Amino acid sequence: MATLTFPLSRIEGHAQVVIEVRGSEVLSARFQATEYRGFEFLVKGGPAEQMPVIVPRICGVCSTAHHVASVKTLEDVYEVTPPPLAVTIRELLLLGQLLQNQATSLFIFTMPDRLDVDSLFDLSGSGLSEDQQAVMTTHALQVRQVGTHLIALAGGQFIHPVKAVIGGVISGITEEAAAKMREELVWALPIAIELVDYYWETSLAMGERLGTWGDDEPACYITAVGAEHPNYYGDVLRVMGCDGSDACTSFSACDYADYLTVEESEYSYAHQTSYQGNVMRANSLARVNLVQKMGTPKADAYLARFHEAFGRPAHAIMLFDLARGIELVYAMERSLEILAEPLGHEDTAVPYTPRDGEGYGLVEAPRGPLIHHYRVEEGKIAHAEFIIPTVHNMLAIERALRVAARRYVTSSGVDMELEKAVGRVVRAFDPCIACATH
Amino acid sequence: MTTLIYSLLPEAVDPALAFQGGVMKRFAVLQLSGCAGCEVSLLNADAWVDQFKLVYMPLVTSVYDVPEVDILLISGGVRTDEDLYRLRRAVKRAKQVVAVGTCAISGGVANLGDRDEVREVFLAQAQRHHVPRLLPKTHPVDAYVDIDLYLPGCPPTPELFMAVLEEDSVFKPSKIVCQECGRKKIRDMRPKHLLGFQQGHVLPDICLVNQGYLCVGTSTRGGCRAPCPRAGHPCVGCRGPSDVFIEKESAVWFTSIKRVFNSMTDIPDEEIDAALRSPQLALFLFQFSDYAGGERAIRPKEKVL
Repeated sequence: MATLTFPLSRIEGHAQVVIEVRGSEVLSARFQATEYRGFEFLVKGGPAEQMPVIVPRICGVCSTAHHVASVKTLEDVYEVTPPPLAVTIRELLLLGQLLQNQATSLFIFTMPDRLDVDSLFDLSGSGLSEDQQAVMTTHALQVRQVGTHLIALAGGQFIHPVKAVIGGVISGITEEAAAKMREELVWALPIAIELVDYYWETSLAMGERLGTWGDDEPACYITAVGAEHPNYYGDVLRVMGCDGSDACTSFSACDYADYLTVEESEYSYAHQTSYQGNVMRANSLARVNLVQKMGTPKADAYLARFHEAFGRPAHAIMLFDLARGIELVYAMERSLEILAEPLGHEDTAVPYTPRDGEGYGLVEAPRGPLIHHYRVEEGKIAHAEFIIPTVHNMLAIERALRVAARRYVTSSGVDMELEKAVGRVVRAFDPCIACATH
Repeated sequence: MTTLIYSLLPEAVDPALAFQGGVMKRFAVLQLSGCAGCEVSLLNADAWVDQFKLVYMPLVTSVYDVPEVDILLISGGVRTDEDLYRLRRAVKRAKQVVAVGTCAISGGVANLGDRDEVREVFLAQAQRHHVPRLLPKTHPVDAYVDIDLYLPGCPPTPELFMAVLEEDSVFKPSKIVCQECGRKKIRDMRPKHLLGFQQGHVLPDICLVNQGYLCVGTSTRGGCRAPCPRAGHPCVGCRGPSDVFIEKESAVWFTSIKRVFNSMTDIPDEEIDAALRSPQLALFLFQFSDYAGGERAIRPKEKVL
């Protein structure tokens, strides 16, 4: 028996893939998260009201999702409903995060695979001219930065934001600031579209070159956005069964344990989830399979093109990457719509009275549904749980790794393309290990 | 490798001007146990793209070991045996070693897990096969290796990252966050009770201490341009103690911050005392060399940006 260990890069956090083979037989493929800080333990005993500042530190990439989920959880405990303006500004925060994340995943994490180079910051082996290389890197960073500016505008800081508070948000957005942001989005949208189109083409070319789009077996799909006009603020969870029927199972965050089986792994610091014994998938492809209409013109054109080309539900894992492109465009278009509304008025928050109890908070993070669950006793956190989107993809990642391994491990030996395939497979799911282990 | 390239340049060329001779300084980012927020912030400091060659940062490059570099940025704390191994291995290959972010400098928010009662439960449940072992507690990087420069912040802003990379001697951060916040201190607005960090309606333009919030911007190192208090959230001190306190013991700060609240408010000392033990202040407090206990050398202020 031989054990092949693959370090990983261009993903968030520390993880590796271990594949065991005997002859041409693939015995196992494991995805191991190798870091751990223990947030569910370290927050214990701390004042509940401080969670919105502590838990974003679970992850600098996904801090916005944790910030908002945390505030929503405490509002559930305290039974307080934030005013509509606060909800709108939080939606904007999450759109900023979606934009930043999808741009990072598309252009920094996975574009190098399309161009067969190690990094966006060294495109010398890509076949692009020097001018094209410079433009590619600059444009990718510019689009990503628009997302960070949106988070900073709505959240105060683009990493570990502070402006969502229990009962609302600290302040609204002045028309002057909104106009400036709109201008930036209008400027960046065509740049983003050009990049997405280029990404789409090079992805198709890569699929053709490789002769595969990766694991395309059916799976269940989970998301917290609705079927139309997806709102990442999160409402109820929906699961599409393996039959691909639109008759989804819906449930609230507080009932997640009745529907999802979350288990510890003995070889990884991350847990793994299944749905009624089935492999489940979260993240962009889950949303694009469950959403019939984005509700903004350009994103809807991409969505129609996607559904027509690949069917619905679509299963091949490389389609996660293309689906991110649709969401990148949606995030920009939808933000423009929101920023055209009046966001400067005074009704930003309602008062609340802290009390003990139990609460759940759900948001749709870029990687899928994120649930926070706290029990508060004497004003302090007695129990905290973080149900992380990446964890829902763990079994799906391992299944896709087995598919890749079987393709490249044959009786004539191990095709070293496997190393690149492992990277592509894992990146398609855009896992976040800091979150998954927390 | 870099030395080799420099040696090919005519002697008259000042290494500081090497870039103009066509050789970019090479830098790497070693990611230990953290949240990648520092790396994400660095990506927003995109001015380095044209001036420096990023040769290693697993978040964005598929390179699996630290090569020889001019500057090594280290983010994250030392939480596992693998962190420790990679740290010791990497520093040997760098001319200059910079600890960036609160986790690398103090262990960061992960220090909250080092309380005895938490640690026992945590370590008992953390055992896994085939993954790096957790050390008994989290450590700052200077517990194991020599550091040339500290860049605190959770995370440090893109501007601060650029100041480090460019070795910008002109860049002088403000002494404290207060100087960058722009909110006015008001003499006759003296709250009687502490609101903590977040409760209540925040008035624009008025100092958060005057409004009864536990803001520690008066003693936190400046340079971040005060995004949190500007947005109406009290400073939790992620940039750590200012030059006045950085070489002192944490007890000096506890006395001093109470004096600030006594002079600006009528909040009873007991309320302040209790609030200063907040987990939220972990980012600040653990940057005092003595706070986490143990024998740790004081960080000279000249080495902290």
